[in-house]
Amino acid sequence: MKRYTPFAAAGLQGLLQYRSTFLISAVTATTAVGVQVFLWRAVYAGRDSGLLGGYDLPTLTTYVLLAQILGLVQANRVDEEVSGEVQRGDIAVSLLRPVSYPAARFAAGLPVSLANATLVAVPVLALYAFLLPLTAPTWTGVLLFACSAALSLVIGFGVNLLVGLAGFVTTNIWGVRVVKDSVVAFFAGQVVPLALMPGPLAAVAHALPFQGMIDGPLRLLLGRYDGLLGAAGILAAQLGWALALTALAAVAWRAAVRRVEVLGG
Amino acid sequence: MTPLATAARYARLTWHLSAVSVHRLTEYRMDFLLGAGGLLLRVICQIAVIDMVFRQVPRIAGWHYHEVLFLLGFSLLPRGLDRMFTDQLWILARKLVQNGEFFRYLIRPVHPLFSLLSERFLYPDGVGELLTGAALTWYAAEHLDLSLSAAQWLLAPLLVLCGTLILAALKTLFASLAFWTTSSFPALYAANQLGDFSGYPLDLYHPSLRWLLTWLLPYAFTAYVPASYLLHGHTAMLPWLFVVTAGLVMLALVVWHRGVDRYEMTGS
Repeated sequence: MKRYTPFAAAGLQGLLQYRSTFLISAVTATTAVGVQVFLWRAVYAGRDSGLLGGYDLPTLTTYVLLAQILGLVQANRVDEEVSGEVQRGDIAVSLLRPVSYPAARFAAGLPVSLANATLVAVPVLALYAFLLPLTAPTWTGVLLFACSAALSLVIGFGVNLLVGLAGFVTTNIWGVRVVKDSVVAFFAGQVVPLALMPGPLAAVAHALPFQGMIDGPLRLLLGRYDGLLGAAGILAAQLGWALALTALAAVAWRAAVRRVEVLGG
Repeated sequence: MTPLATAARYARLTWHLSAVSVHRLTEYRMDFLLGAGGLLLRVICQIAVIDMVFRQVPRIAGWHYHEVLFLLGFSLLPRGLDRMFTDQLWILARKLVQNGEFFRYLIRPVHPLFSLLSERFLYPDGVGELLTGAALTWYAAEHLDLSLSAAQWLLAPLLVLCGTLILAALKTLFASLAFWTTSSFPALYAANQLGDFSGYPLDLYHPSLRWLLTWLLPYAFTAYVPASYLLHGHTAMLPWLFVVTAGLVMLALVVWHRGVDRYEMTGS
């Protein structure tokens, strides 16, 4: 464990070098929340019933806001860094180090998540809490959410690592990342809760690992589950996917290392 | 040289350099597919959200489903055109002043701005955005049984052009700030991000946000105003569209020139 603290420190230092990225993340999240919130407010205004897929307006607003914030916290830049190292050939140096590369990447990504959570998420949250009526969660919800959010970090890391490792296969990792960003965000429920998706689409989303990144944690936070068993089911699905993705990433990493060819120099 | 001859020369250069970029596209076909496909997916996600909205209500803020799609499609036309021709400005904002490489564009026998932009025309993402926008606009117009008057047909391309100029001018303006601050990437990014609001009817938003998007960062004129005119025949804001376009382009050019005058070589 101790071997990985330098990686965490380096990740944090690298991030603080580019402080402007915090501003960029904040503006992106604020705009995305704004578009969605105004859109759904107009929908509620045009309906007689005050519920949409079981959500009332303040709860849906809370969902939309926290979905962007969770997305922000999961944006740990691992995909960018890994594919960058592969493209530049720096991966050769990383292979020489006596540590597990995926674990070192996880250690470097964690402080990025924490910094985003404190420096970006808190101001954005405060801004919207000031502007709009939100739903306050229960203590049980917060507790379940904490466990679930931790698992969502592992799932998000697994997805990003796999995307980063795609750098071994294609050079246009930027394009892969654009595709990943929109598809993952959509099926994670970052744009719209899964409860509002039409049947077949929701079924697809439930079958994919991405729902454990946003929709799962927020359902636990906002109390949108059936009793204790329902809550346990959400957490179990998350845990299963977290383990599966970790295993998949480990296999992909082994296969990638076997493929690697670096120009000597 | 007369202004006409100058314009002809730049048109010829643009044509020639675009042809070079097409060569590049055919060379890197996977890049093109990923770039264009990525934007297509983004638009599909946006349409999916609009679909979900209209499963719940027949209209939002007075707009029907296909009208919202028309607006979204139309907003992609100037965006795509702008992206095809001016994405080099991102590089200026990010690093050209910082690493001192900007001088390269000053020693060529064309206007420095053209020299910068022409380094890469026809960005594949822009091509994808333009085609997606055109298809979506067409699809929505078919379903709306939209019949445009002769004046609307004549004005439509001009409105797209003005929208493109507004976007390009905003981008030039924020990228030029780099001449003072060495890197203006966050400012440019933030300004560009707010443009995401323009893909939906502005009637949805709080009046203060609407005001901001009309008069401060005039994204309203790139999609909402022209689409309201083509769909509903609203003409009240149209004169302003031309005033804002002209004013913004001039402002951007003045700031650009001031910035270039300030630029100093790194000396190495």
